[in-house]
Amino acid sequence: MKIEPGYSIPPWDMPSVLAERMRTMAAILRDPYPVHWDRGVVEKMGLGRRTINQGPLGLSYMVNMLHEWMGCGCIKRLRMTFLLYVFEGDHVVARGRVNAIREENGERLADCDIWLDRINGEDRPLEGSATVLLNE
Amino acid sequence: MTNPLPSEASINKLVGHKFPGGSYTIAHWENFLLTECTGAEPLPDNLAHPVALFHVPILGAGTSIAEMFSLGQAEPGASIRIESYDWEFYKPLQEERPYDVSGVITSAERRQGRKRTFDRIQFQFDLHDEESDDPVARTIVTWLYRRSTQ
Repeated sequence: MKIEPGYSIPPWDMPSVLAERMRTMAAILRDPYPVHWDRGVVEKMGLGRRTINQGPLGLSYMVNMLHEWMGCGCIKRLRMTFLLYVFEGDHVVARGRVNAIREENGERLADCDIWLDRINGEDRPLEGSATVLLNE
Repeated sequence: MTNPLPSEASINKLVGHKFPGGSYTIAHWENFLLTECTGAEPLPDNLAHPVALFHVPILGAGTSIAEMFSLGQAEPGASIRIESYDWEFYKPLQEERPYDVSGVITSAERRQGRKRTFDRIQFQFDLHDEESDDPVARTIVTWLYRRSTQ
């Protein structure tokens, strides 16, 4: 199938964001920010007793979507804006749409809008863009 | 609880601050766990998950998330917000391959939001392949340091 502008990238589903993964991630990142592993800190912020997902993890769901679509190593550029927190237990889905196709240095590239939808909140915590190498 | 507002000059003077720089090699165990955290299966051909482009530049440049908080005089608790990331990959990241990393603060300015003052600080990190010196990736990280006083 030839990819054209307007094409919807197959979505990538994360049925439940897990607190355990945030804790492992915090250790790998050497991230001292307690909102990712201490529910009490989040509660003091008035946001309930659920830890807040790391920004890079939210972004990674979109990476996984792009990898499943065009293969590992396909990502040339990612730009991401963080609009809302994602919490443990959230059901989120990474989605994307091709905006433009272009050639650069002999490679066929797709410029895409990408975003993360929160199914249980019906909002959009992350949105941005990606440039992807098309391996058609 | 309110905390003293850092002087605007002390924030502005962060521009041009260079981190020590250094080398970073993504270990297999690290990539395995990192990839698992994203909900994906391990990647083929020793490829590292691209989300490594968050922590690899920071640690490779000889700094840490804690030091980046401290440089911006972050208040205790949950006062930092991510504004944006802009990541460019010239080559895919790989496990067990050393990268030279440099980092600098490219922008630091005070902004007035609707409800509160914040400082917007932008960090840029560049990765080169240690063996070939080819550029591998560039990342621009923009964080907002929210202040409890106006």
